[in-house]
Order: sequence, then structure tokens, then C-alpha cells
Amino acid sequence: MDPKQFNTQILSLSDRLFRLAKSILRNAEAAQDAVQDLNLKLWEKRSALDEIENMPAFTMKSMRNLCLDTIRQQREEDELPVEIEFTEPNPYQQTEQKDLVKRIRNMIDDLPELQRTVIRMRDVEGMELSEIADITSLSENAVTVNLSRARQKIREKIIYEQNRVEETVWKR
Amino acid sequence: MEKINEILDKYFRAETTLAEERELKQYFASQNVKAGHESYRNLFVAFDQEKYETAVAPLKKVIINQHRVKQLWIKTFSYSGIAAALVLALWVQRPQQDENYAIIHGRRIEDPEYVQKYAEKKLNYVNEILKDGLSPMRSMEMVKQNLQPLKKIRETHDKMIEIERNHNINN
Repeated sequence: MDPKQFNTQILSLSDRLFRLAKSILRNAEAAQDAVQDLNLKLWEKRSALDEIENMPAFTMKSMRNLCLDTIRQQREEDELPVEIEFTEPNPYQQTEQKDLVKRIRNMIDDLPELQRTVIRMRDVEGMELSEIADITSLSENAVTVNLSRARQKIREKIIYEQNRVEETVWKR
Repeated sequence: MEKINEILDKYFRAETTLAEERELKQYFASQNVKAGHESYRNLFVAFDQEKYETAVAPLKKVIINQHRVKQLWIKTFSYSGIAAALVLALWVQRPQQDENYAIIHGRRIEDPEYVQKYAEKKLNYVNEILKDGLSPMRSMEMVKQNLQPLKKIRETHDKMIEIERNHNINN
């Protein structure tokens, strides 16, 4: 693969890879680094890339694996759990999260890694279930289950938020 | 509204097609969202916002730097070669004559202190060029983040020309 092909086929996917990395790592700066790392690794192995049939799926899969490795390393270093379950925001967070859209994005970030990756691949990137299955190494059925769970959890949280707002209004 | 409710239910069960999901997105992006659906609007707005998030810094410099590394090598060796030739010229000029003077740019300089300072300055510049210029080659990661060495070489070159110009004016 020559530099021109590399630009066209791989660097053009950078934004998509960045969004995926950001969703997994939950940090824009770390996501940026991860994308840079992946591009450098792919560049070093560019001679072998000509054999790849589905480049977007291959790079997305590589990106996810790289991010999961990063999380694993961090967990070993910090000895912290990878997944942080949704907890009631404290008053400071409530003030900070006044923006409803931002709150929903945080809800998605609070989902387990696989669920937030799948929901974003589908609802942000508009990918087919078969593509997501390929990238995540899951069956299409497993993708559907994870997608359904992710959407249901978000729905429950939205309803919970809605009820809380209504209760607050009634108490006034 | 009934149709949207149906699609929404299917959506949360992950049974919608991409076409149906596009329909939902269009509905929630419109001004006709019914009060009963209002709470879900932000979900689709959030997805839409994320869609336009882009990598902060474009990554095309990965390729560019491949060429820059080559240029850096060429420039570094060119400058070190020039400097080495200059120092050699100063060195050779002095012992050939049994007098205490040096030739700099065709001029006879008899002040040993000036000649020594001039040579030291040139050597310092070369040292800086090598120090700054070679360090990025230790890894591509550093080259990627730091294009300063090229700037420094240019600056150093400009400074060398300026010193020579000032010297010519003073003489």
C-alpha cells in the first residue's frame, strides 16, 4: 500500500476511529492518542494491508482491540474496575449536567463497553448489524441482544429522569 | 403518532431496520415532535451531535513526516559537513603560516580571541543542530509531535548568516 492509498483508505477513517476510541476510552485525548498509535502501527505494516478485503471493518476492529488493551493496561496499573456503573449524580454533577443532551451522552458512556460500542456503531455510525458483528467478533444475534439492552437501559434512565423532573415540578 | 410509537417500540427492542431508524431520526429532527415523544428527542439529538465529532488533529502528518525524516537527515548532514569544513579550514590556515591569524571568508583575522569565539559559536550551533535534529529520529512518535528541529535549523542558519553579515560590516 503506497502513501496515497494509505491516505485514501485509512486516514480517511480517522474521524470514525476517533469516535469509536472516544466511546470506549471515554476520553478525547486518550482517543486521539489511540488513533495516532493505530495509524502508525498500520503504516509500519502497510505492505501487508493490500490483502485486507474490508478495510473499514478491519481498522475498526483493530481500533477496538487497541482501546481494550489500553483499558486493560490501565486497570493493571491503577487496579480500578473497568466499568463504572451508573450512580446518582451528586449536586455538583447535577449542576454540571444541566444540559439534557450531555446527560444522555453521559448515560451512554455509563453503559458497559460492549453495549456503548454497539449502540454507537449503530445509532451514530449507522452500521449494519453484520458489520458490527464482524468488528466485535460477535454473532449478529449477540449484537442485537447487546443493542437492545443498551437502548432499554437508556430508555429506563430517560424515563427515570423524566419522572424525577415531573415530581420536582409537582412538589413546588 | 401511532406509527412512530410502533417504530419506537421496535427501536428499543433493536428490531428496526436502518431505514426505520433514519425515519425516527428525521422525525425527531423536525419541528413536529409530539409532546409524548419529547423526552426521546434528546437521545436522537445526542446521536446526531456525536456523528459530527472529528479527530482533533488530522493524522496526515504521519505520511508527511516520513519525508521530513529524510529531509532532516539530509539537512543535518549538510550543515554538519559545512561546519566541519569551516573548522578544518580555520585549523589548516593557522599552522600553515607561522603567524597568529586565520582566514574567515577570505579575510585575514589576526585577533585570536575573535577567531576562537567564532569557531566555538559555529561548533555550538552544530552541536545544537545535531542534538535537536537527531533526537526526533529515535522514534516516529517524537517526529510526529515535534517539527521544531526543522525550524531550529532554519533559525540557526539565519543566525549564522547574521553573524557573518555583522562581522563583514564591522570589518
